[in-house]
Amino acid sequence: MKVLAAGVVPLLLVLHWKHGAGSPLPITPVNATCVTRHPCHSNLMSQIRNQLVQLNSSANALFILYYTAQGEPFPSNLDKLCGPNVTDFPPFHPNGTEKARLVELYRIIAYLGASLGNITRDQRTLNPHAVGLHGKLNATADTLRGLLSNVHCRLCSKYHVARVEVAYGPDTSDKDVFQKKKMGCQLLGKYKQVIALLAQAF
Amino acid sequence: MAPMAVFQATFLLALLPLSAYQSEVSSEPLSLNVSISSAQQRLHLQWSVHNLTHPELKMAFQIEISRIKKSNVIWVENYSTTVQQNQTLHWTWESELPLECATHFVRIRGKEDDTWAAQQRVWSSWSSWVKVDAQSLLGQGPPHIFPIDKLVEEGSNVTICYVSRHNESNVSCLLHGQRIPREQLDTHVSVFTLTNVSFISTWGSNLYCENDPDIITGAEPGTVLFVSKVLEEPKGFSCETRDFGTLNCTWDPGSDTDVWKYPSQRYALFESFSGKKKSCEQKNWCTWQVAQDSQMYNFTLIAENYFRKRSVNLLFNLAHRVHPMTPFNVLFESVSTTNATMTWKVHSLGNFSTFLCQVELHGEGRAIQHNASSQVDGQYFFSGLAPATEYAARVRCAAKHFWKWSEWAGQNFSTLQAAPSKAPDVWRSVRSTLGSCNVTLFWKPLSKSQAHGEVLFYSVATENQDRLSSSKLFSIPAPANGTELSLDGCSHQIRVTASNGAGASPESVMVIAGDPGNQTAEVKEERIRGTEDGVSMSWKPPAGDVIGYVVDWCDGPQELSCDLQWENLGPNATSTVISSDAFRPGVRYNFRIYGISPERTAYLLARKTGYSQELAPANNPRVYISNLTLHSFTLSWTDYATDSQPGFIQGYRVYLRSKEEQCPPGFTKAVLPDNSVCCKHDIDNPEQKTFVVENLQPGSFYEFLVTPRTRAGEGPAHPFGKVTTREQHAHALIRIILPMVFLLLLLTVLCYVKSQWMKETCYPDIPDPYKSSVLSLLKPKENAHLTIMSAHDCIPDKLEVVNKPEGIKAQFPGARKSLAETDCTKHDYIYLLPTEKSSAGPGPGICFENLTYNQAAPDAGFCGPVPAPHTAPPGLGDLLTAPGNLLRSLEPSYMNSPGETPAGETTLNYVSQVASPTSGHKDSPPTNSLELAPCSEYRMQMAVPLGLASPSPNENRSLSSMSLLDPGEHRG
Repeated sequence: MKVLAAGVVPLLLVLHWKHGAGSPLPITPVNATCVTRHPCHSNLMSQIRNQLVQLNSSANALFILYYTAQGEPFPSNLDKLCGPNVTDFPPFHPNGTEKARLVELYRIIAYLGASLGNITRDQRTLNPHAVGLHGKLNATADTLRGLLSNVHCRLCSKYHVARVEVAYGPDTSDKDVFQKKKMGCQLLGKYKQVIALLAQAF
Repeated sequence: MAPMAVFQATFLLALLPLSAYQSEVSSEPLSLNVSISSAQQRLHLQWSVHNLTHPELKMAFQIEISRIKKSNVIWVENYSTTVQQNQTLHWTWESELPLECATHFVRIRGKEDDTWAAQQRVWSSWSSWVKVDAQSLLGQGPPHIFPIDKLVEEGSNVTICYVSRHNESNVSCLLHGQRIPREQLDTHVSVFTLTNVSFISTWGSNLYCENDPDIITGAEPGTVLFVSKVLEEPKGFSCETRDFGTLNCTWDPGSDTDVWKYPSQRYALFESFSGKKKSCEQKNWCTWQVAQDSQMYNFTLIAENYFRKRSVNLLFNLAHRVHPMTPFNVLFESVSTTNATMTWKVHSLGNFSTFLCQVELHGEGRAIQHNASSQVDGQYFFSGLAPATEYAARVRCAAKHFWKWSEWAGQNFSTLQAAPSKAPDVWRSVRSTLGSCNVTLFWKPLSKSQAHGEVLFYSVATENQDRLSSSKLFSIPAPANGTELSLDGCSHQIRVTASNGAGASPESVMVIAGDPGNQTAEVKEERIRGTEDGVSMSWKPPAGDVIGYVVDWCDGPQELSCDLQWENLGPNATSTVISSDAFRPGVRYNFRIYGISPERTAYLLARKTGYSQELAPANNPRVYISNLTLHSFTLSWTDYATDSQPGFIQGYRVYLRSKEEQCPPGFTKAVLPDNSVCCKHDIDNPEQKTFVVENLQPGSFYEFLVTPRTRAGEGPAHPFGKVTTREQHAHALIRIILPMVFLLLLLTVLCYVKSQWMKETCYPDIPDPYKSSVLSLLKPKENAHLTIMSAHDCIPDKLEVVNKPEGIKAQFPGARKSLAETDCTKHDYIYLLPTEKSSAGPGPGICFENLTYNQAAPDAGFCGPVPAPHTAPPGLGDLLTAPGNLLRSLEPSYMNSPGETPAGETTLNYVSQVASPTSGHKDSPPTNSLELAPCSEYRMQMAVPLGLASPSPNENRSLSSMSLLDPGEHRG
């Protein structure tokens, strides 16, 4: 199941990815029909907060595990190779309304989920023996999926937002090996930074 | 001149067509096209030659390649080929520098190269330069590194370039932290050359470049270098068939040269006789279908990867490469006690039906191998097997032209049981009591090779030698290794057999002749010594015939249950070495050697005792000191048991330690393990357990130690006992001290016997006033009337008991209590006063408030001289009901004796021993209260004048209402 989740989802994302899709489209109008497949849990916000805290607590370990598995020069050039230089990353405004923050959170989680899928796929071939890293990537992707579902539920149930336009990061499948490693490292550096902000904001 | 002109004209005419032809082929080749293969760093050249005079023409081409600028020619290639009409020619050049690192220029020219046109070998003009500029595709982005994800072979050199749009002269590149030498190719290209690269990982090595270590742009480029190992020639290439249908070829490929991104190592089989080729799916084996009509095969195994190609050859006859399949249907037939027949089948190999087979039999801890020739059905007969034994047999076969054995095919089988082949080894222990004999039989289980099957039971038959008709048979089920028999008399023959499922063993016969106890007493015990091999012993052969000897002993300690062991010896044996795993060092074992007569009677020959290994004594004896004199003392350790020591006691060693340097006679200097020096004396007789240490100094302190010795050493060098010899003048002191002690005792006894007299003399309970010192005090005032009043002279008129001291008595059970704590109102007072009616009557009255003694001895709680009971006598009730009268009467002159002295004149004084507020000051008014507080341990003694003791009626009335007693305490 994890294999499907980590392999099919990124594939679908890649298929629907268009270059320059970095600018998110407006959210669904308020009067649009919003239906969730399952009834939302009563304390959704609490769950969202917990998931963010959980992701935040494991983000640094994932980051360390990643750059260690790549070997030199990554561990000794973190600022140059793993700096959070992700240009098209969705923005987040912590002072916005809850609705606006949830919409931005949704976009960020969708972006991160897709990117993590790419990283997981790449690392299976680039570092097939880094089992610990694979496990951590899969666990993080699982939590992100749960968080995405909860945010969607919250948006739908409370704010009647059925659809949020999202953007994804660049596909790494055609990149050279060093670029794949570097982009993954940058993304995880960014993830570590952003998830801390999000955990604080909610 | 004319001939010259003609020759010249002819020569020119002849050259004309040639020159025309030459002008055609020497024109520049057209349509030169150059393409790039960036990953492989190759330039692909394509060109064609126009206007060929012949359909096919051998030509030579010269290709020049320049880098950066046209004049910088880095490669010149001469290329010859046969050119056909309208043919496009190809040539590829691989650059050591990635093509993105610099602009390249290519041009070409050609000429005919046929031998018949040797005179036409003139180069055409060069084609125009073709520019190859891969850099132009990079755009204005961040710096780049080339090559990207390059695959190189281990040990080769790699050139890497760093391409930037800016002039960057401070670029450095690192591979695994190692800086790579740099060379500036032009203003924006730096070149780094790695030499003799080594394999690190199948997943490549990161190579990273940075312009300025202090500037972070986030765009620092990097690449991954994939280094593959060098392809090795396959080793151990071999082919064989198991079924004449398929050839299975195997080899050792050596190091795996594949890297993750570029798997290129592959293998192929080429058979030259058939011309067939097959790509192998595996890197170390491949199959090949055998053709029906082919016996000879010539294989070439081709190994290939991105960089190299290697091959090995193998020529063989198929019949010589047969590896038979594993035999099957392995069975055993006609299995008896000692024989068995093994059969098996071999897979058919068509015409090759004869096999060489190897049969192996494992059993009884050994393996036997036999070779056998067989057809498809094989068999082998095993003989000489042991009965009731499990064997494992297996077989493997090879073809007639031996190539390889098949795998083993095996089966287990067991031979049938047979009757045990040997009589059990039996021994006995005999105890006779009151005409009956208790015989304990022991036997050793038969070995597997003797039992020939599982022994089910042992049969014991006893036959009384005196009464032959009296025989008994016992059956003892296995695995018992003995039994106990109670026989009627000791003269018995005992026969023992072991039986299994197939029958009984031969008999083991022994005869018990009489009480063995007598024999034991007759034979003296000898000591023997243990060796490394065991306990060695020897004996003298007896006078009569013997058929053998038996040595028996107990394996365990003697005190515990005896685990009887024995060893049978031949008739010629006169010595043996007994060894046992149960032997422990320091344990004494007793051995008995029996001779076995031809009548199977065992009689005791010798008794031996010894240790497998003697040890030094673990403890020293407890030593007692006696006969301590000025110059000697005696040491004794008579309760030391020499027989229960871990070795034979050879003697004792006495150590003596003192402050004196000289040793007493008989002692020698010795150094103890703790390096202290002392004197020692050896006692060689182990039975001597006393020793007198003589020639000592009087009054000196000595330390001594007695330690036993065995062959292994002596006992521990501690603890030392301590003794001090007697002082020289001690006896004189005793002569003085003893009489004095005796005298003291005599005095003590006398004092005890005369204690009552002593007490009355020295410390009477009631002081005798005549002996009182008061008299001496009164002497200055004494007159003729001064006398001591006698209690006998008192005529008591009335007794009143105030505050019966029952409770107080209970409060003073012999314990002295402070008067300050005592309620004075509860003290006893016994008043001896005249009643109203007799108040005018003469006669003195006296009252003792003798609380001094009353308090010290509560039982004597009454006024001393008057042994009046506490209960008031008849006629005294009035006074008792008005104690205040007494006090009132005391008021005027309670210190005078009224009858014998004039009023106001003191003639009799009782002096309080301690001043009291009520008695010490006669001028102070008397209180109405009977309270005598502050209470004193001593009480006043007083004499009251009789006249004053008689109160007036008024006073009496007034006093009668002043009862200070509890009404309940009044009587009458």
